[in-house]
Order: sequence, then structure tokens, then C-alpha cells
Amino acid sequence: MNLILALAIGVLFGCGTYLLLKPDLFRIVVGIVLIANAANLALMSSGLGRGQSPIRPLGEGAVSDPLVQAMTITALVIGFAVTALLLCLAYRIYVTSHTVDLDELSHAEARYERELEREEVSV
Amino acid sequence: MSERLRGRAAAHDLPAGAAILAAAAGFAAVLWGWSQGGGVLELPWAPTLDLNLRFELDGLGALYTLLATGVGLAVFVYAGRYLPGHLAHQRRPPSHAPRFYGLLVLFMVSMAGLATAQDLVLLFVFWDLTAVASYFLIAYDRHEVASRWAALMALLVTGVSAVLLLIGTLVLYAEYGTFSVPELFQRAQAGGMLTLAGGLIAVAALAKSAQVPLHFWLPRAMTAPTPVSAYLHSAAMVAAGVLLLGRLYPLIEPSEALLDGLLVVGAASIAVGGVTALTRDDMKQLLAYSTFSQYGYVVFLYGLGGAKAAAAAAFYVVAHALAKSALFLTAGAVTEATGGAKKLSELGGLARELPLLAAASAAAAATIAALPLTVGFFADELFFAAALERGPGAAAIAVAAAGLTLAYLGRFWAAIFLGARRKAGRVPIAMLAPVAALAACVVVGGVWAEPLSSLAAAAGESTVRAPASASVAYHLDARAENVMAAAAWAIGLALLALPGSWRALARSAAELGSRAGPERLYGGGLRRLNELSDRVHDLEVRDLRTRVAALLVPAGALALLGLLATPTAGSYRVEGVELGDMGLVLMLVLACVAAAAATLPRRHLSLALVLATLGFALAGVYAFFGAPDVALVAVVVETLLALLVLGVLALVPAQVLRREANIQVRGSRRWRDPLVALLSGAFASVLAWSALSRPAPERSVAAAHVELASDAHAKDVVTAILADFRGLDTLGEVTVVAVGMAGVVALLRRGRLW
Amino acid sequence: MSVLVQSVARILLAPILMVAFAVLVKGYADVGDGFAAGAIASLAILLQYVAFGPERTERMLPIRLLPAAAFAGLLLALGIAVAPLAGGDPLLTHPPGAGGEVVQLGSLELIGAVGFDVAIFVLVLGATLGIIHAIARQAEDEDEDEDPR
Repeated sequence: MNLILALAIGVLFGCGTYLLLKPDLFRIVVGIVLIANAANLALMSSGLGRGQSPIRPLGEGAVSDPLVQAMTITALVIGFAVTALLLCLAYRIYVTSHTVDLDELSHAEARYERELEREEVSV
Repeated sequence: MSERLRGRAAAHDLPAGAAILAAAAGFAAVLWGWSQGGGVLELPWAPTLDLNLRFELDGLGALYTLLATGVGLAVFVYAGRYLPGHLAHQRRPPSHAPRFYGLLVLFMVSMAGLATAQDLVLLFVFWDLTAVASYFLIAYDRHEVASRWAALMALLVTGVSAVLLLIGTLVLYAEYGTFSVPELFQRAQAGGMLTLAGGLIAVAALAKSAQVPLHFWLPRAMTAPTPVSAYLHSAAMVAAGVLLLGRLYPLIEPSEALLDGLLVVGAASIAVGGVTALTRDDMKQLLAYSTFSQYGYVVFLYGLGGAKAAAAAAFYVVAHALAKSALFLTAGAVTEATGGAKKLSELGGLARELPLLAAASAAAAATIAALPLTVGFFADELFFAAALERGPGAAAIAVAAAGLTLAYLGRFWAAIFLGARRKAGRVPIAMLAPVAALAACVVVGGVWAEPLSSLAAAAGESTVRAPASASVAYHLDARAENVMAAAAWAIGLALLALPGSWRALARSAAELGSRAGPERLYGGGLRRLNELSDRVHDLEVRDLRTRVAALLVPAGALALLGLLATPTAGSYRVEGVELGDMGLVLMLVLACVAAAAATLPRRHLSLALVLATLGFALAGVYAFFGAPDVALVAVVVETLLALLVLGVLALVPAQVLRREANIQVRGSRRWRDPLVALLSGAFASVLAWSALSRPAPERSVAAAHVELASDAHAKDVVTAILADFRGLDTLGEVTVVAVGMAGVVALLRRGRLW
Repeated sequence: MSVLVQSVARILLAPILMVAFAVLVKGYADVGDGFAAGAIASLAILLQYVAFGPERTERMLPIRLLPAAAFAGLLLALGIAVAPLAGGDPLLTHPPGAGGEVVQLGSLELIGAVGFDVAIFVLVLGATLGIIHAIARQAEDEDEDEDPR
């Protein structure tokens, strides 16, 4: 079971990294979401027990680890807030630079800096 | 018109009144506290880090705090009248005024804190606070390049030397294990470490008091408005340097080399300041050079060592501060009265137009020049007595110094007030009264010096931790101090009467100083730092992905190294899969398929749906993990996130998104990206597998939480953990949510919540 | 949006809010916690946004002050966390203590931690609504800019 979980985590992480390397801002955000999900899965699978849900009254048998569950909830909520912020940030970048392509953004940034330096020298 | 007046009242008079009240209250409070015999205030700050808030109103603290609040009172009254005209002259709105008073009061408070602090870290904090307040005050005329340059110079010189103070503090802590000043005095023993720490502290103090070679920032700082120069750069902030010397003297005393260093620096400052003051034309510049020359006296006294010299130093600081502030205020008043004349060559003959000002400033100038019937005479008497004890060499330096001082001050006063009569306007009463008050103090002090000398004696006692005395009186006999004083006056009058003899020499000396002096080093050093920074900036990779790769690849290599180096025997187990886990496996497979599908090029809309599938699949995984709470939150979050993604994507025009979706991967990225993804995925898998193969030996934590939940009246253990046992984590989480919303609102709506 | 969606959305608003409230209050006894409740409530309002469009929803529902209420919720949560310090107890000591009397309201138990959950509920609701509103308004402003063209 642990091998299957590890493989799943690896797949999620790998796909997330692949998306992170794309030049599209929104794909980068999706990549970050995937990596966050991989982390959450890793968190949940590192629980010290797997069985019934930890709600009293408890029955026989193993009980799932409640601590990692609490941590995962926290991680999910924080991931949500950060993703929302990232999406709006990507949108704002689009509004100011009229592009969501990272290559075009780097070129625009370099051009802007060269203009600034030209201004500085001429002043 | 009345609206302008009302606006002016709110912006000027209220803050000015508040500042004056604060200064008066502070002065009264310290006076009362001192009359009650002083006191100690100790509060624990971070006991485990040996940090305490310890303030003590001893002689030294009382002296400097009374100085800061008393001179502050005079300067604030002056500023109340000066600032409106200053702002109007520069066409700035009155709303700039409260900042000025606020900064001045901040400075006064941090000066009081610095004087009474008995903990090194506390001392450092107040030290830097004064530097910060000074920075903003010097750069008050923000639009002037000279002001900004001067403020930066002052901040850099005093700030960098403050770091030396911190290093000295840490050296002492490492050696003796305490930050508290009284304890340090008990534990300190002469040795290399103490000398090192003492040296660092001394350098910081000397930079703050603008001693050679770190003196060049003070004349530049004269671009500040006159009240700032009168307060900070004559009486308070530069006094902080010698305050530090006085406070931490027992740490410097054991080292002869340090004391001799202080002697040399003091004498050099006296010389450089005095000689340059003889050549300056701008009033405030002359006074600036005079200031650090006078503080050279104080440093010289500390270098001489001994109880008498320490008490003399404290006495001298007060005498100088009172008189120098008065002179700066005079310079400002004269500029105001003559409609903007700042140079000595433009002035002259104002004695008959401004008699009161002439008389008051004469008293102040006489104080610094140590003429009788002023408290300055007593100050120099103590100075001569201490120098005599050291030997003839020191005595000669002292006489030369006093002569030089008389010369340049005489030149200053005569150039403004004597000569052919010139027209001048009125000086407002609010600007004249503080000068007159300060002048009255120095004259009264010249007759009845008892309170000041007892305070100075107490300050000397705090410094050398032995009884000290600063008793002064007029002795009409031929004792050594009187002879030295007479000799000094003779020298000074000779220099005044025969200007031609020294003018060329002094001018060339000043030229040499500005050509080859430390200021050139500062400018050159700053320029070179800027170039270095530009070059490093050019090195920086521009591309976001390459930046990320530059981080991840070395990190991955290191992690791989770590994995290879750890013993792997028995660390990778494969657990069996039971039939009951089939649901879990199915959901995992679905999640993986969705993740893989997300990497394929497709329209952004379907990307959002694939993302939602992934989220719900993972929610299913959590449910099968026996975690219904997590599954609920995951489902809800995924729904919200899917709708959010769709909402934001709807804002971007379709063409832009379509172009992105269809973009072809070019060149080396074609094989590089999948390879990197494969490697990182494999790495994550191996790491997770190794971690999951070795569960923690302690399984009791989970069980303990389940047990304790009944105490928390909860049946759902997870909710109990979230809201009760680990509630602080939840607080952090909701803070992130609130900040996230604030960020989104700031980005999209420029901060309007609705 | 079609009439069917709109009427269904309108009918569903109250029940979803009830469910959210139930999840909030039952959090201690059964599945659920403050965050899930807040998110469910915001989903109810988001459904109205999708069905009716932003302007109509904002006119219909009294949700103007909710984004500001998010910060009030944060302060309340902080207050509840810090309040026990006044009595000398460590942070987050919810009344009643271990083994103490619990105020029962029918089958609901009202303990101090429920107040904490309520604060989180308000915060999450306000925060998500703030984000939704910002995005919706952004779309409106964009449409307004495009109109003259």
C-alpha cells in the first residue's frame, strides 16, 4: 500500500513540476496546485494509523490518525487562499503586460530595464 | 483666509504645542525623579535570551535626559515659529508640519531611553532609533538633493558604526554571558576580548560624535532646518556618542591603548575642527566644525582618564550643548531677519539692529570661548585642571585648543554683529526667547554653578564608579588653571588681531582635508558599491523558470546525495494491499490519470475541469482514508477553487488563452521539461516510499489525542484538535485566508472591500 | 441563465445555509468544522451569483458588510484565543474545562470552542465572498470598458 501511495505522490509531483516549467502563467498556477495536492496526499499517508474515522464513540479496530487529518485540513485551506491569490496575481499581470506568456514577460522586463538605464545615463 | 489659519493651527500649532508640553513634562519628571534620588526600572523582556528592560536614572542618565528635554523645550518653542515660515518659503503645505514635531519628539524620547538604558541591547535599540529619527529630520526637505545626500551619509556613517557597537555587544556577551551593564562591570576583566569590544564601542561612539576621521557627515548635515541642527547636531545626537563613552567607560578604561587612542582622536578633532572653522564662510558650517571640535575636548577628557576628567567631561557637554544650541538658533534668527543671508561675508553690523540677539549670542559665544562670568569658564577650568594632571604635553594641547576656540568664535560673532551698520528686520519673539533663555542659563551658570557641578559630579561617579567632584569657583590667584586660561585668551586674541598670519595656512589645510580626506573615501566607496551591485544584478538570470531551476537542481542534487548516503538496508518495504483498500487504489488511479491529463495541451476551460476531477478524486482518497472531515473540506475547497479558476479565466480574453494553449514547445525544452518532471517525480516517489516504510516508533500521540478529546467535550477528535488542542495553527490558517482576501481585493479592486 | 436554474437556485439558498449552520454547530459531535461550514455558506451565495448574475444578487442579498466582517471574525478568533490569558490560563483554554458542566441546548452542546468555530465561519464566509465580489466586479468593470467600443 505504501508503494502505491508513494507512486501516486510521485506522479502528482512530477506532473506538477512539468506544468511549473511551462511558459503560461495559468499553467504554472495549475502546477502549483498539483504540487500542493501531492504534499497533502503525502501528509495524509504519513498518518500513524488507518481505519475508522476518529469520531467517538469508537468501535473496534484501528483508528485513523486525527493529527494528520487536522494538519491536512489546515494545508487545504491555506492552499485555497494562496491559489486564489495567485490566480488574481496572474490576472493582474495580464492586465498590466497584456500577456500571460512568461517568455514575453521576460523580454518586456529586459526591455523596460534597458530603457531605464538609458534614461539614467542621459540624465 | 480664516480657513488657511485654521488649517495652519491644526497642522502647526497643535503638534508644536504637544511637543512643547512633552518636553516640559519630561524635563519636570526627570528633575523630580532626580531630586528623589533617582531610581531603577526593571522589566523582563526575553529572560531566556538574557534581555531585560532595565532603566536607571543615575547621574549620567539624569544629566543627559535633562539636557535632551531642556534644550528640546527651547528648540521646540523656536521651531513653532520657524517652521511655518520655512514651509511657506518652500511652498509646501502645512500638513508637512506634524511629521516634523513627531520626529523631534521621537528623537527626544529615544535620547532619554538611551541615557537611562542599562542593558546593552536596549542601548543599541535606542542608538539606532536616534539615527533613524536623525535621518528623517535631515532629509526633511525631501525635494533637495543635498538634503537627501546628507541624510544618507549621516545614516550610513552612524548606522554602520552602530553595527560595530552590536558586534562589541555580542563579543561581550560571548565572553561574559550577560547584556546587563552593571553585571558586565562586575565581571569584566582586562584582556584581549575586552579591548576588542571596547575598541568597537569606542569607534561607534566616535562616529556618532563626528570625531576625526568620521567627522565629514556633520557639516553636510547642516542642510537640515535650523531647529534640527540646533537640537540634534549640537546638543543631543552627537552628545549620544560621548554618552556611550561615559556609560561604558569601565569597559574602555582597563586598556591603555584605547585611552591613548581617544586622546589622539580628540586632539585631532579639536585641531581639524578648529582650523577649518577659521576658514568657513557659511554660518552653520562654521558652527558644525566648531561642534565636533568641542566634542573633541570631551573625547580628550575621557582619554585622560580619572574621576576628575570624567566629571569635567560631563560638565563640558552641558555647557557646550546649551551654548551651541543658542548659537545655531541665533544663526537661524539672523538668516530670518536679514531675509536669507547665510554667509558671514553677507552679514555684519547687526548689533545695533538686533541688540538683544547680539547680547544673547555674545553670552553663548563667550561660553564656548570660556570667558569669565559664563559656565564655559568653569568648564574650561575643569578641562585645564584635568589636562594639567596628565602632564605638560596635554596642558599645551589644552591651551592651544582654547586659544583656537576663542579665535574662531570671536571671528563668528564679530563678523555678524560688528562692523558697518546694516539693515535688518525684526526677530520674532518666539525665536528670540529661546536664545535668551539659553543665554540666561549659561550666564547664571557662570555665577552659580552648584547644581550643574553636583550633577556633573554624579555623572562622573556613574562613569568611573568612584567618587568624583566637579567643584568650581572663581579663584583670583595665580593658580595654574588661571594662567592657562590667560595664555589661551592671549593666543586667541592674537589670532583674531592678526588674521593675515594664519589665513593662508588654514585655507590650504582645509583644502587638503577636503581633497584627501575621509569624505572622498566615503564617496568613492559608495560609488564602487553601486557598481558592484549593478554588476551582480546583471548576473541575475532574467527568466523565471531558469531562476527556479537554479534553485531546484542543486537542491535536488543534494537530496539525491543524501538519499544515496543513507543506509538503505530494510528501509524500503512493500506492504500488501487488501481487498478493502480497492476503493482507495481506484481513487488514487483516478487522481493520477487526472494529473497526467492536466499536463496535456488543452484549452484552459477543460484544464479547470481536469483540476476539479483531481480534487474530487483526492477527496475520495481522503474519505477512504477514514478522514471524513478532510474529505468534506476537500470537496468544498475543490468546488470553490474550480469556480474561482473559471471566474478568473473568464476575465482573460479568449484569444490570449487560445494562443497559450496552442503554443508549441520549442527546441531543447521539448525533452528537457519531461526529463526534469520525470526526475522530480521519481525523486518524490523514492522519498515518500522511504518515509512511508518507516513509521514513527511512537504511536501514542495519535492515541493520546483520541483520549483527550473526551476532556474537551468533543466527539469529533479532528475538530477538537483544530479548535482546541492546536488552535494556534488554525489561527495561522485563518490569518492566511484573511490576508489572501486582502491581497485579492488589493490586486483587483485597489483595496476597496465592497 | 434559464428560469429553471434560477428558481432552483432561489429555492436552494435557505437549505444550503441551514446545512452550513448545522455543520458548524454539529462540528464537535460529528463530521464538520468551522471552515467547511463557512465554505458551504459561501457556496450557497456563489450559486446565486452564477444563477442571477452579480448585480441582482448583490441587490437581493444583504451581503454588503460580509467582507469587512471577515476581519471582525479574525479579531473575534484572536480574542477568544487570547482571553484566557487574563485569567492566568494559557492560550486557547476554552470553557468549560475538563470534566466541567456543559451547557446543553437540546442535543447541542455549547462550549467555548464553538465560539471559535463561529468566528472562523464568519471569517471564511467573508473572505470567500470578498474574493468572489472582487472577481465579479472586475468582470463588470471590464464589460463597461468594452461597451463604448
